[in-house]
Amino acid sequence: MTLLKPAISRALGWATLVAVVVLALFGLWGAPPDSVQGDAQRLMYLHVPAAWIAYLAFGVTAISSALWLWPRTRSEVYDRVAGASAELGVIFTGLTLVLGSLWGRPVWGVWWAWDARLVTTAVLLFLYLGYLALRSVPASPDARAKRCAIAALIAFVDVPIVHFSVTWWRTLHQQATVFTPELKANIHGVMAFTLWFGVLAFTLLYVYLLDRRYRLAVLEDDLDERELEQAIAERVAGAGTSVRVSPDDDADKVPAKVTP
Amino acid sequence: MTNAEYVIAGWVLTGAVLLAYWLRIQQRIRRAERLERDT
Repeated sequence: MTLLKPAISRALGWATLVAVVVLALFGLWGAPPDSVQGDAQRLMYLHVPAAWIAYLAFGVTAISSALWLWPRTRSEVYDRVAGASAELGVIFTGLTLVLGSLWGRPVWGVWWAWDARLVTTAVLLFLYLGYLALRSVPASPDARAKRCAIAALIAFVDVPIVHFSVTWWRTLHQQATVFTPELKANIHGVMAFTLWFGVLAFTLLYVYLLDRRYRLAVLEDDLDERELEQAIAERVAGAGTSVRVSPDDDADKVPAKVTP
Repeated sequence: MTNAEYVIAGWVLTGAVLLAYWLRIQQRIRRAERLERDT
């Protein structure tokens, strides 16, 4: 059981690979260096798409969690999608922070600053690491899904805080370049194309990895269920043997007392 | 290229992390499929 048909998943995998190679060509050579930041700005073509995918992944986790909590739409599919998407979100948030740090060192002169955007993003990472830890706490599937769905909705509150942190507080981090309050992008030409292509490539990558991670979740749930059934069957078989032995013992004794 | 060490480190690190994650998932899928066939 997968989210996508196997042929579509394979095609998506190849399309993603091509898109990532094209992104690397444009990001490292095709796009011109920034007039102020020079080549260090080439990290933007990874940093911004990674941040976008983190938002998307946590958004998908929140929506899937809400769909699981709503009794009419409750399905284990949504619980698995929520878990798979959160795992991807954590990876892309981690990449966002590391890439931002690598970009910040030559441009700001520091690896890290106690800046609103950076701190709220780090908080986002820890919130979803906590969510993933919660998913691994042993419980019945329904109890686990319920507590994780609630945690995912609470954690998602930090996503708009991260996004608007550069507007709400004075930050070292630059203001929004594309999703400005006026929705007027401050980037043009080949640089804009490369940035949008990066977002497209990372979105394809996210959908492909989500499908793969979902497939893994289905297989592991099936295996857990089989192991549980097998363990119960062995226990019942063992109990059955001892039940059969006891009455036989009693059967030998009872007639001796009752028959006369 | 100016600041090449930071730019290359960022691109290589991103590629390595995503490739490692994809390989790990593929490995776990194959293992789970094999176990499913065996049981």
